[in-house]
Amino acid sequence: MHKQEFIANLRSRLSGLPSQEVEERLAFYSEMIDDRIEEGLTEQEAVSDIGPIEEIAVQIIADIPLAKIAKERIKPKRELKAWEIVLLVLGSPIWFSLAVAAFAVMLSLYAVLWSLIISAWAAFASLAACGVCGMVVGSAFALGGNGLTGIAMVGAGLVCTGFAILLLFGCKVATKGCVLLTKKIALGIKSCFVGKEKAQ
Amino acid sequence: MDVQLKRGLLDVCVLAAIKNEDSYGYKIIKDMKPYIEMSESTLYTILKRLELSGMLTVRTSEYGGRLRKYYHITNAGLGRIEDFKNEWREIMSIYQFVCKEETENA
Repeated sequence: MHKQEFIANLRSRLSGLPSQEVEERLAFYSEMIDDRIEEGLTEQEAVSDIGPIEEIAVQIIADIPLAKIAKERIKPKRELKAWEIVLLVLGSPIWFSLAVAAFAVMLSLYAVLWSLIISAWAAFASLAACGVCGMVVGSAFALGGNGLTGIAMVGAGLVCTGFAILLLFGCKVATKGCVLLTKKIALGIKSCFVGKEKAQ
Repeated sequence: MDVQLKRGLLDVCVLAAIKNEDSYGYKIIKDMKPYIEMSESTLYTILKRLELSGMLTVRTSEYGGRLRKYYHITNAGLGRIEDFKNEWREIMSIYQFVCKEETENA
């Protein structure tokens, strides 16, 4: 790939981001490619040395705060006409409440996910507690003369502990996954704002 | 390496790379390569952060018919390097303490 191609490709992937920010970054990469060429690499080698465009674009998008991207997108591309403003204001009871409702639904879905994970942790905690209590109280029973009941309780305690240990692994994986998902969602929201302006 | 730790280290490494003379993006990456690898995007983010916090200043000069950005360390940047050295003296003494515990237990 040639340098111009690389820059054009990267620019189109970053369209929708604040333009000053994009130009600054493109100039930075352009300088990096030129410096490599000067050192003796061919143009193609220099470009491939910089790394895959997709990765660079994703990293840049992840780097720019969501608020900055959203602000850039909300900024109207032209002056709104008077009737458009009137329509926006008159329609606000409808579109505003719909937007709030949509946001609330998404938020609650996300909250449900976390509450599932929290309840799994709670189940783990209660199983672990049952395990410990079963073994302690069971041993006390067994030593106190209630042999059979005591042994049964120790057994139940051991079973609970076993389940708790299994659940611990599950909980850890689920929590990790959820944190990862949160990061992906954030990146996804940003990507919604970026790179859909090629037609314009 | 821990992400937060690496982030802090990279900041100081970039400052060290421009400590003796002004430098430019590709040279900074090359100078650091034997010690710590980093990508162009990472370097950009670090340079921006250091510029915003007043650790370095940027000037654009013409070089071979094109523009190149040169980075110059400020007094605040030099101070950051000194802070880093002092912090690490402390950390090294803690490290020695930790390793001593290990050998005693072994």
